[in-house]
Amino acid sequence: MEGPLPLALVVASLAFAAVVLVYVALGRTPDWGLLGFAGVIEVGALVLLVVAATQVGGVDLHGGAAVTLFGYLLAALVVLPLGFAWSLAERSRGATAVLAVVALTEAFLVVRALQIWPS
Amino acid sequence: MTDPAPASTRSGAGRTLVAVYGVFALAASARSLVQLLTRADEAPVAYGLSALAGLVYIAATLGLAEIGPDPRRLAWGAVTFELVGVLTVGTLTVLDPGLFPDQTVWSSYGAGYGWLPLVLPFAGIAWLLHTRRTHGLRT
Repeated sequence: MEGPLPLALVVASLAFAAVVLVYVALGRTPDWGLLGFAGVIEVGALVLLVVAATQVGGVDLHGGAAVTLFGYLLAALVVLPLGFAWSLAERSRGATAVLAVVALTEAFLVVRALQIWPS
Repeated sequence: MTDPAPASTRSGAGRTLVAVYGVFALAASARSLVQLLTRADEAPVAYGLSALAGLVYIAATLGLAEIGPDPRRLAWGAVTFELVGVLTVGTLTVLDPGLFPDQTVWSSYGAGYGWLPLVLPFAGIAWLLHTRRTHGLRT
């Protein structure tokens, strides 16, 4: 998990949450641009999981730390699709705001994974 | 874009609330599962309490999302238990910080989770009251 990817994911997730809040404020419904943005984040989360899986053999993660790490990374992979499924089933400001909730969760999950990774 | 009638607890702002409860349900239950499976002997009470909190969040999520036979009753039971839980565990851990050897989601009124565990039950109760007032009055 060395390199700029985790940090880029956190920044992208926070930026996504900010864009969603603008959508909520303007009363706009999610569009393809928003979905594409989330798609990029989702690909990043998948790459991060693969990178962590290939590098985990070379670092010292004792006890349940490895389980916790992959728990966070797997959660980071599923939280956006679940959030989108829940959000897109309805058209309202509250439904759009769901995307901000999952984006902030995404950022939090990557930060927690970074904290566990020995540097 | 018009917000739908608020009689449903999973519509409008309720949709956001369910998402937040869902995140907590996932976080608290997954975390306590890892703790109970890898080091249950270290802090059985704290981890058991986290697991209980996880179940309460799952119940609140299902109730507010209107899944199950009597979701409103389930949601009321869950958010009430949640409020009592966070106030009780919060007060106990503030009076005696050494009470539990490890953190639970409700320790210090949920300060470790950005105070959200304290805010959530109030938001849940407010939302249940709000949707009850307009129940059946579809506009």
